[in-house]
Amino acid sequence: MTRYIIRRVLGFIPVLFTITLFTFALMRAIPGGPFDFAGDRSLPPQIVANIEAKYHLDWPLWKQFLSYLIGDDLLGEEGISKGVIRGDLGPSLRYRSQSVNDIVATTFPISAQLGFLSVLLAVLIGIPAGTLAALNQNSWIDYTSTFGAVIFLSIPNLVLAPILIWIFALGLGWFPVAGWGSKPPYLLGFLPQLSQLNWNYISHAIMPVFALGTASAASIARLTRASLLQVIREDYIRTARAKGLRERAVIVIHALKNSLIPVVTILGPLFAALVSGTFVVEQIFGINGMGKHFVQSVGNRDYQVITGLTLLFGVLLVIANLLVDVTYAWLDPRIRYD
Amino acid sequence: MKSKSMYIVFALLIVASMVLAACQPEQAPVVETVVVTQVVEQEGEQVVVTQIVEKEVTPTPATVEQPVTLNWNWATEPPTIDPALATDTTSVDAIRNLFVGLTQFNPDTGEVEPYLATDWETSENADGDTVYTFNLRDDIPWVKYDPTTGETTQVTDADGNPRFVNAEDVVYGVKRTVDPNTASDYAYVLYIIKNAQAVNEGEEGFTLDDVGVTAIDDTTVEFTLEYPGAYFPSIAGMWVANPQPAWAIDEWEDKWTEAGLINTNGPYTLETWIHGGELNLVKNPLWINADDVQIERVHGVMIVEASTAFALYENNELDTTGVPLPEIDRVKADPQLSAEFVNAPDVCTYYYGFVNTKPPFDDVNVRKAFVQSIDRQSLIDNVLKGGQIPATSFAPPGIFGAPEPGTIGLPYDPDAARASLQTYLDENGMTIDDFNAMGIVLMYNTSEGHARIAAAIQQMWSDVLGVNVQVENQEWSVYLDTVQKTTPVEDAPHVFRMGWCADYPDENNWVHEVFNSDAGANRLRRNCLDPNCGESTTSTFDEITAQAAVESDPDTRVELYHQAEEILAAEEAAYAPIYHYTIVQVTKPWLDRNYPLLGGNDFFNWTVDMGTKLDATGG
Repeated sequence: MTRYIIRRVLGFIPVLFTITLFTFALMRAIPGGPFDFAGDRSLPPQIVANIEAKYHLDWPLWKQFLSYLIGDDLLGEEGISKGVIRGDLGPSLRYRSQSVNDIVATTFPISAQLGFLSVLLAVLIGIPAGTLAALNQNSWIDYTSTFGAVIFLSIPNLVLAPILIWIFALGLGWFPVAGWGSKPPYLLGFLPQLSQLNWNYISHAIMPVFALGTASAASIARLTRASLLQVIREDYIRTARAKGLRERAVIVIHALKNSLIPVVTILGPLFAALVSGTFVVEQIFGINGMGKHFVQSVGNRDYQVITGLTLLFGVLLVIANLLVDVTYAWLDPRIRYD
Repeated sequence: MKSKSMYIVFALLIVASMVLAACQPEQAPVVETVVVTQVVEQEGEQVVVTQIVEKEVTPTPATVEQPVTLNWNWATEPPTIDPALATDTTSVDAIRNLFVGLTQFNPDTGEVEPYLATDWETSENADGDTVYTFNLRDDIPWVKYDPTTGETTQVTDADGNPRFVNAEDVVYGVKRTVDPNTASDYAYVLYIIKNAQAVNEGEEGFTLDDVGVTAIDDTTVEFTLEYPGAYFPSIAGMWVANPQPAWAIDEWEDKWTEAGLINTNGPYTLETWIHGGELNLVKNPLWINADDVQIERVHGVMIVEASTAFALYENNELDTTGVPLPEIDRVKADPQLSAEFVNAPDVCTYYYGFVNTKPPFDDVNVRKAFVQSIDRQSLIDNVLKGGQIPATSFAPPGIFGAPEPGTIGLPYDPDAARASLQTYLDENGMTIDDFNAMGIVLMYNTSEGHARIAAAIQQMWSDVLGVNVQVENQEWSVYLDTVQKTTPVEDAPHVFRMGWCADYPDENNWVHEVFNSDAGANRLRRNCLDPNCGESTTSTFDEITAQAAVESDPDTRVELYHQAEEILAAEEAAYAPIYHYTIVQVTKPWLDRNYPLLGGNDFFNWTVDMGTKLDATGG
């Protein structure tokens, strides 16, 4: 297993390199640059040249890419970039007093907290709902669970979030309209301070977590149901029952564990996607997460920001997928990697 | 009011599938964490670090007086609060509350008034250049807010002497903006200063010392200009010419604008700045007019979504906010919200530009037909709904030299519009079908608001003239590329959307900097720039605005600008002015604020009645 993990981690390097190269190249391929305009006006060419020189955008593309990758000093240049390989994601071209590392340090913890709680909610609702539905196939429980899943899968965040605000914040006054309950500095760089974990934190989190988590909960519920229904008909379940195991043990130890493989498969990408920030929910609830930077940096042509965030997302995704693969081996003893 | 039971029904529907964590509200914690940015020596380097300090806080009894607080929405993260680098309204709003300028504009009249400078005079030097001499006040302290103690103290120099804003700070500020290494977007605004352009463009043989700004003594600063610009006192008050703290910038470089490091000299100072989340200001107790500043703390969030900001307002979490378009009808109908609704003019103009050298828009009759068939009032009443002012010329009221709206230019006149188009068709022996076959394109940058306006105007052109116009849109950066003057004329759209807002209140910033074929952005392309273009326009417009830029007599300048506006909007119909913007806002009854003629948010001139506010928000 250890050898397998090491091999996979080494395999990340070409993947992440390719992601960086493609994002870099695609961003430069779209017309317009970060300093073509300020507000509604275009800037005089010499002004643009001054700014581009400061950020080395006047260098040939291959050199810019190398500088981004390995840093200016290794190229023998006086410069601003230490290189991605040394953890420097570069300056933001739009927010000129901030670096991409600053942006990640401020916004990633909030997105991570929101995303993690949403995945947690999705799993806590989705798996029991799907299990109950499968065990009571074609009963009212099954129909209610399936109906609920269809409803929450079909209501987009864009609609659900304002409805939640309208009812629970403006109408009933139970929760605050917008915002997030923890502020920097964060514990270990991404967790809320213990003193901030109070009702204020929870009340701010409930609506966005619900808005973000329900759609995933719905798909997890449907997947669990379908998968469990299939597993229950397998021979080894009949064997387990035949040898006289209690029904609870049959379901939890034998059936459910095996039926979770497809669920775990989607949890990997889901986790990476939710933890790295979601544009719509963060925007509607006024949460200072990373989602907005994914979207705005493209419009702003903020090259380093979009490349850095995509790279970060790539890292999260490959790690999540590795965890998924490792979990497979635990869930299904037939799967062996060595 | 909707009944509460209705909300409950909705609530139950949603809660049905959800388990809520049952949690009790907690008491306020007694230990508060405070963010401190400081410098430490690390591996021989000075490094800025952010640390957590735990501070004992006695739980505040409800009876203790709260600071007078404004709950404000910046709406977006200001890209910078560095005066040399700012270009957008959010950044400039923060800067005008944090820093003092040489001059300021009277909020009601828009006239230039003393601020850091007490008075100024013009003279001519031996080379015949115009020289402006500003006399400065000597009692404005540089201050710094300390997040650990919560105190604002005066900055001292290396010898321990208190620092006051002086002429050297002004000179440093101007030179820093002009310095090509600073890479300031707005450096070109200062090109009126002698040699500023040459230095900024890195011309051979010019150094920063050549820029025409000198400190004669601590309280006198002298500017030598490239040409006599009567509007220079307005430029001198702009943020890019603000005094800047050389010592702090040398020490912290790009990070000098962070909370705890920044040195300011205005009515407020920076308390905290959580990027993308909050930017909070506290009153500067050492400010010269501190007694007149009533609001002690500005709690500023950055809610981008207009409907969320409006919900926060309705929940008493914001004291003022913009009204999103879908809410305008409800706000006007609601007895309480309509009383809080404010419509104030803003110094911006929305217009449709024509590419004047692209057939058929190289013919003045076609342009006139397209301008005169736009029913601006109907657009405002049915689409925009914010009480905007119909524009027939470019610069809005409040700008020096601007005509009254409606006095110059072409109003809505469907008969004249049809006649103009018919003249064109007859002259060219065309039918309306031939005209439509030319595939007229109207382009705007992707946005819901622009799309609505374009659809309405497309319909007006169809109804009045019978022309079919294709509507296209592009993402902002791509769009700006497409409509700039260097795009081949066959690739440019016939009609494009654009807006303009004042940098300084003078027509020079409008007709000259936007439309002058030589000095301006020249997206209208009134002169021919490539072999495939149509007929160039020959008129005196370009000469008139260039002449007005260097003219010093105010009356003559007004006369020249009126002529220029007349030529461009009426004679040439080179573009279609559509409306002057308005501010569409709601403001809580406990907030008393002004709307400066030239825009901007000056918290130091506002007041909040905390008694009423606390009663309404429940303490």
